[in-house]
Amino acid sequence: MLTCNRAGSRMVVDAASSNGPFQPTGLLHFRDVPAPEQEKLFIQKLRQCCVLFDFIADPLSDLKWKEVKRAALSEMVEYITHNRNVITEPIYPEVVHVFAVNMFRTLPPSSNPTGAEFDPEEDEPTLEAAWPHLQLVYEFFLRFLESPDFQPNIAKKYIDQKFVMQLLELFDSEDPRERDFLKTTLHRIYGKFLGLRAYIRKQINNIFYRFIYETEHHNGIAELLEILGSIINGFALPLKEEHKVFLLKVLLPLHKVKSLSVYHPQLAYCVVQFLEKDSTLTEPVVMALLKYWPKTHSPKEVMFLNELEEILDVIEPSEFVKVMEPLFRQLAKCVSSPHFQVAERALYYWNNEYIMSLISDNAAKILPIMFPSLYRNSKTHWNKTIHGLIYNALKLFMEMNQKLFDDCTQQFKAERQKEKAKLKEREEAWLKIENLAKANPQTLGSFQNWSSLELSMCPVSKNQYQLYIEPSGMNSPVAMETDGPLIDDIQMIRKAVEDQATQAQKDLRKDRPLVRRKSELPQDIYTVKALESHRRAEEIISAHDGH
Amino acid sequence: MKDLASYEHNNEAHKLLKQINQYLEQESKFLPRASGLLAIEASLENDDCISPKLRDAKVEDLRSLTRFFGCSTETFVLAINLLDRFLSIMKVRPRHLPCLGLSVFHLAAKTIEEECNIPSAHDLLRISHCKFTVSDLKRMEKIVNEKLNGEFKAVTALDFLHLYHALAHCHVINGKEFLILDRLEAQLKACCCRFVFSRAKPSVLALSLLTLEVENLKSGDLFEIILRVQKHSKISQYDLAYWRELVSKCLADYSSPECCKPDNKKLVWIVSRRTARHLQNSYYSVPELPTIPEAGCFTEPESEDSCEEMSCGEDGLSSSPQSHTESEFFS
Repeated sequence: MLTCNRAGSRMVVDAASSNGPFQPTGLLHFRDVPAPEQEKLFIQKLRQCCVLFDFIADPLSDLKWKEVKRAALSEMVEYITHNRNVITEPIYPEVVHVFAVNMFRTLPPSSNPTGAEFDPEEDEPTLEAAWPHLQLVYEFFLRFLESPDFQPNIAKKYIDQKFVMQLLELFDSEDPRERDFLKTTLHRIYGKFLGLRAYIRKQINNIFYRFIYETEHHNGIAELLEILGSIINGFALPLKEEHKVFLLKVLLPLHKVKSLSVYHPQLAYCVVQFLEKDSTLTEPVVMALLKYWPKTHSPKEVMFLNELEEILDVIEPSEFVKVMEPLFRQLAKCVSSPHFQVAERALYYWNNEYIMSLISDNAAKILPIMFPSLYRNSKTHWNKTIHGLIYNALKLFMEMNQKLFDDCTQQFKAERQKEKAKLKEREEAWLKIENLAKANPQTLGSFQNWSSLELSMCPVSKNQYQLYIEPSGMNSPVAMETDGPLIDDIQMIRKAVEDQATQAQKDLRKDRPLVRRKSELPQDIYTVKALESHRRAEEIISAHDGH
Repeated sequence: MKDLASYEHNNEAHKLLKQINQYLEQESKFLPRASGLLAIEASLENDDCISPKLRDAKVEDLRSLTRFFGCSTETFVLAINLLDRFLSIMKVRPRHLPCLGLSVFHLAAKTIEEECNIPSAHDLLRISHCKFTVSDLKRMEKIVNEKLNGEFKAVTALDFLHLYHALAHCHVINGKEFLILDRLEAQLKACCCRFVFSRAKPSVLALSLLTLEVENLKSGDLFEIILRVQKHSKISQYDLAYWRELVSKCLADYSSPECCKPDNKKLVWIVSRRTARHLQNSYYSVPELPTIPEAGCFTEPESEDSCEEMSCGEDGLSSSPQSHTESEFFS
């Protein structure tokens, strides 16, 4: 009998005997065996299913035996589903062992781009080649867990922290079917083993931390969040401090990651569940969302807007008042966004009756914040659909309180006037400077006929002017004729500029000799010795080895 | 107090007075027919004709359109004038009111605004989500033109307001602007939104607004000037008092900080296909995984109670030694 006791290794089995790797007795059917013998047969079948087959390197190998294993697994699934009292104490360790042997393996490296570059709609996930068997093992284990005869007291000896740890590692599988089974399996384990719950939560947190702060790569975040959703839903009130910390330190930072689109619906659900349990968490949640608000990633911005609307749907009016000002400042920016989907999604908030009632209760504070972006963009946005939405939003605001709207209009116009006046002042100041420069006695002469632009391009130092004026003897502040002398001037300036330029280069080289400093690292004496002794050993070996 | 025309800037004042006289002569021409207005006032809710409420709602729409397209207050006031005049001479069915509203707005814009600021018929229809076509709009405009004899350059309360305001400021000695024109215009717009003021003579309405504002400011100088203006315009004390009362009520309503809950049922929300798809998907439906209660253990729906008895007597969360390590982990 060939069994693999080492988890994670796969072996190709040659069909030496007519039964291959399977014992003939293990190939009997349950129905052919009297009831007292069934337990023994069950154990045999289980052990035989610990034989692993190769589906990758040589998919066509051992087709017959693969089919035998598949049939055995299928039969066992039926067996425990339709029979009672067949899950006896000796069965437990065997079942756990079968699962461990088949499942706990090192996942192959991914051939798809990771993280945000992986587009779930375009890139195909690499599916698990051994799925025909794995699927049945998962199915079987699940039925085992869900059986009415299943007793966690007995199982907890075998389903321990180590088992859970290895189970969690599988969540990084690329095969969505596998992750789906894992999700349900872990969900049942969490439900039945109270003693493991804290450990599971802690390990999930670790996965999330590693994901957020180190790798930004993990395929199973959505499934883990789904499990957490059902856990959060069942939290008792008042919420434990541990859970609140989890929300603030784990769930909220998950919004930062680039690949948010993969797991956003589940994440939003978790967040909203938390707020439904304890509304005092609203302020930190909304402020964190605003802190993590995407600045250059528009699809992510739309996701944030989705989540924010869901949060507002359940928000308490007293909490709303605490966050409304920064929230609507961000919303005003979204409404003005040139990305039409962001603007549309933000404007669609006005179609939400509850949000509108919250706004109308606090219109005096909110309207002045939203007003400029709505007013400014009414006709200037490039997208025509946006016009219609802005019209709706403006209309709703106007009808809320006519005077408030008119006051905002007046204030907006006044501020615009102030801005225009400032701009004008600045222009006038520049003009003044220009005129002052023109009136400078040293600019008279050759440069009198030049435009102000050309003047501004000339070097301004006193020495330069002296240089130009003296050689050609143009000291008199008399207006020059435009043609002849001017060309001379240009050539003179050109030459001066060239001289200056070469001069500058020489200075540069003089000032900064080429110095390159090597960084000196301190060397550990033990490391040096160890390396030396290692080398010596190699010399000895190669001397004796006959290559 | 000297006579109105004989102040320092009497040249300026003289010009203004001339203009006021001109307008006073013309204003009756542009008043809506009184009998028509009475008919509207008397209409009941379920009649198939225009009621004051419908008219006011349409005026609100025009106000939004004016703001959206950036048209001037003149356009708005003129549009209301055209609307009221037309409604007072023609019996209009409520279902034609949207088309009428847009036509008067378009005509007013064409009369007042510069070429580049006139919104196109196409844009008007698109923004107000109306169900009729550009040709319908053109036809309605023709009808309005016909019935009002093309007299679009109406003398409105706004014109009087501007003139009176300018006149008052001619005579203010220290030159500071006490009467803020913007605020007065906003108040006038608020009055336009109420059907009761369609009957008012523009000069009286403008003067009522000014009178109330001057009373608020408690400026004796200005009050004197207003009295002179009233005498000059031959507005009776009775009329002024009557309309002032109504205007005061309207402004009290206008200034109240109460915000009414907006009714967005009559608005049409059109979004792009991509956003619409997003809206459908974004609401994460109830997850497939059933809730796991924190204190108890999770049981399958069809399972027996034996499972619960067995495992719930086990280590509770709080009593397990693991809880200490958790709190350290997070601290």
